[in-house]
Amino acid sequence: MNNQNKKQASQQQRLCTPAHHVMSRRELLGVTAASGLLGFGGLGGLVQPLVADELSQSDKQVLFIWIDGGMSQLESWDPKPNTKFGGPFRSIQTTLPGIRVSELMPKTAQIMHLLALDRGVTTVDNSHSAGVPRIQRGDPKDRGVIYPYFGSAVAKLMGQGKSSLPPYIWVKPGSGGFKYQDAGFLGPRYGALAIGDGQAPPNLLLPDTLSHDDNSARNRLRNFANQQYAAGRNPTFSEAQSFVFDSADALMSRQALFADPDPADVQLYGDNELGRDMLIGRKMLEAGVRFVKVNSYGWDTHGDNFNGHASLMPRFDQAFAAVVLDLQERGMLDKTLVIAMSEFGRTPRINGHVGRDHWPEAWSIAMTGTGIRRGVVIGETNKTGTFVENESHDIGDFFHTWFAALGVNSLETEYLNNGQPLPIAHDDCKPIKELLT
Amino acid sequence: MTRLRLSCGIIFIFVIALCAPSPARSEELHSAIDRLIEDSTDGIFAEQATDFEFLRRIFLDLTGEIPAPSDVTDFVGSSSVNKRTELIDRLLKDERYPRRMSELFNVMLMERRGTDPAWKRFLVDSFKTNRHWDSLVKTIIQPDLANENEQGAGYFLTKRLEKYGQNPTDFPGLASDIGRLFMGVDLACAQCHDHLFIDEYRQSDFQGLYAFVTNTFIRTDTQFPAIGQKVMKKPLEFQSVFEEEMFTTGPRLPGGVELEVPEYDNKNEFAVAPDPQSKAPGVPAFNPLHYLASTLPTSKNPRFQINLVNRIWASMMGTGLVWPLDQHHNDNPATHPKILSLMAAEFAQHDFDIKWLFRQLMLTKAYQRSSILLSPLGDIQKAEAEYRVFRERALSPEQLMWSVLKATGTESRYPIELEGDSKLETTLPTTIEQVAEHFIASFANPPREPEVEFAPSVRGSLFLLNSELVQSWVNNGGDNSTEQLLKISDNTEVIDSLYITVLSRPPTPVELNNMREFLLSHPNRPDAIAQLVWALLSCNEFLINH
Repeated sequence: MNNQNKKQASQQQRLCTPAHHVMSRRELLGVTAASGLLGFGGLGGLVQPLVADELSQSDKQVLFIWIDGGMSQLESWDPKPNTKFGGPFRSIQTTLPGIRVSELMPKTAQIMHLLALDRGVTTVDNSHSAGVPRIQRGDPKDRGVIYPYFGSAVAKLMGQGKSSLPPYIWVKPGSGGFKYQDAGFLGPRYGALAIGDGQAPPNLLLPDTLSHDDNSARNRLRNFANQQYAAGRNPTFSEAQSFVFDSADALMSRQALFADPDPADVQLYGDNELGRDMLIGRKMLEAGVRFVKVNSYGWDTHGDNFNGHASLMPRFDQAFAAVVLDLQERGMLDKTLVIAMSEFGRTPRINGHVGRDHWPEAWSIAMTGTGIRRGVVIGETNKTGTFVENESHDIGDFFHTWFAALGVNSLETEYLNNGQPLPIAHDDCKPIKELLT
Repeated sequence: MTRLRLSCGIIFIFVIALCAPSPARSEELHSAIDRLIEDSTDGIFAEQATDFEFLRRIFLDLTGEIPAPSDVTDFVGSSSVNKRTELIDRLLKDERYPRRMSELFNVMLMERRGTDPAWKRFLVDSFKTNRHWDSLVKTIIQPDLANENEQGAGYFLTKRLEKYGQNPTDFPGLASDIGRLFMGVDLACAQCHDHLFIDEYRQSDFQGLYAFVTNTFIRTDTQFPAIGQKVMKKPLEFQSVFEEEMFTTGPRLPGGVELEVPEYDNKNEFAVAPDPQSKAPGVPAFNPLHYLASTLPTSKNPRFQINLVNRIWASMMGTGLVWPLDQHHNDNPATHPKILSLMAAEFAQHDFDIKWLFRQLMLTKAYQRSSILLSPLGDIQKAEAEYRVFRERALSPEQLMWSVLKATGTESRYPIELEGDSKLETTLPTTIEQVAEHFIASFANPPREPEVEFAPSVRGSLFLLNSELVQSWVNNGGDNSTEQLLKISDNTEVIDSLYITVLSRPPTPVELNNMREFLLSHPNRPDAIAQLVWALLSCNEFLINH
């Protein structure tokens, strides 16, 4: 589909919601009614259930760093100093010969040999409201359903792993809670558990009046009661109910995740919002959470782009370089896929407010970790950074690439949504081989 | 256009023609349902539910809460042969019945979009006076605004016309919901083209329904939710995304006759002229909503007949005869078509009397069966599909709230406040409305997601495990159940009373022993009893309607 058509499709006001587009042939419903509930906890509703079983055993994890509003590629991964649109910042040498990045990211320049960078990203949407979900859903072909965000998709495909913690945690500034919207047609249970402002989710703390021994004792009583009830009954409901209690319990037993951070870590990651959240993200990964999204806001620099990036970039630079090195030192980088990206890049043209606007035509995405080739830079923009030269990649290609890095065969694995098989990534896209080991 | 309209009309007439077998005159609906269930299977049936299980189930379904201990002893102790029927009849007259029904229908119709005091009053009053389903729907579409009891009914429409987020006014969503909730057809996917999988869901049907609501708006001159209509001057134009040809349609029910949009000159376009003084909008001479209200909810509309019986069946039996509930069409036939058509026909014959329908369903053996299938165990899903065993259901957030308050003996702490909207507060709530906010935040589905599937969540578990509110109910004090139980010195009696209070049944010997041991081993008796109350509140048996 060419971009023009895609744009038209996106502009149409659609009514369909996750509950829609069910294929209602009874024999198929029989399958999904069972898989819907039996799959509780993550692994139902795939056309290939055996794949799901296998993936649930995988120890691979994801750290997804979402730079909301649009990081300028020109002030970060793809600088064009001394050109028409280059802006005031210089570029600096990285640990990769011949590869230079903006001077605003000196720490990242020192770990460039660990990263894979694609400077040839071209996507469709140039508005936040449509771009943020479109990109995080992998912009699949329109089949009249709302696709899950990457985190919900991984939660569904790979389950919660061995930690029994919720599989998709979103560390962000602002409010926390249970964000079901990300899950799309997978249904609310694959939504994100959001940790807002570093605060624990509501009701996570044991009441003051209850000791840990008391808590264990009352849960033993509850489990005893559950066993008494179970005999002769359909296990489906009870198991689903027990699963959420177990997840809650696992979360409660990890209070340390929300404790005050180690001062040394704070110094390493940065004493600011993003540093704090990246640190929480690392702890979540350490605790075994399958997918962690760390969110940074405020990058929409339509005005005063250069001062904006001068203040934002160092925080990103420090937290990003710190977490990559930290994961490597802890031996976790080999099993953790790390991605840093926005919903689009920013216009090369500098507007009347000394800002840069939205630019999906030519921007950059960086990644590292499991399955990803290290020290590789692909894709190229023209001299002024306005368009991608030669081959470009769309978000669908990246979804295929990331699934491949996680050991998920995205060309064959399909969701089963009420009887309708749905590819997990755009069917016209494919993995980017140069980025994969 | 004529071609299109004709073909659709014909298809619809054939598709949904009711072929109800005519029952023997003396046979009541509930007996016929049981006969049809028994005829359709050779499998083994579960026993009838025990008095305890039946009592809890019927209380949850008709009063919205578990029975009080005295209800348990009275019912089980009664030796009347007809005690189940007598109980059903008593609870259908219980003062909690309108509350329970208003909660059930509010969730079904509003799908957690929010609430409004006038709407709530309308629903409660409707079930108090046993307003029939056709009248209920008619009133929702076109309330008599002079009648105080009907004023809130417009909320169904106004709430859906409110903007949320950055979305434009969702007229298509409103049209779709009228199809889904009142006729059991989800035409949303036929908005832009004929439905891709479902032959009889035509774009012209969606657009015909859409034409009824495109000219509606929220009135700003009333103190309660109300709808006004702009003048419809010409038929609606539409086009399939797959074709070039333009079509037009006036308002039309799926399968029905298209209304011709008349041409009026400016002088005559209003039946009641707008009043600039009071800012009341006029009533157009051509009034699509009036037509919708007088033709949709009638026995002449087979889709209307069938929709609610299937929905009520699903809410009492755990799944619809047609499932999903808004997917009535040829490729998705009912599991038990004769039951469905018989129920629909009789419901219409009884003038859409909802109370009658509930009574008939609850009198069936199918409803009164046990949720335990002794053997063979592996067969339980098949047994459920054949209604040979009672299918477990989730408690709604409202049922759970009333039941938790009842079990903990804390109901009287919260005065009922029908007026005023409450918002979640950080301090402990003081009214039942505020308590309900907590339960909805912890257990309800997100807005616009039908609550038809069992979807427990971590947030609900954390609420039960750790919230200050739940602790304030189970911890000793304020004359709650824990305090009452503390007054009993004999441990066996404590456990007996605990089980009757929370689980509405006596403990088994194993349970008695286990819980008694816990009491003996615990150094602090008030804490021990609080934990026992909590454990039974949080166990599956309590959280499920079985």
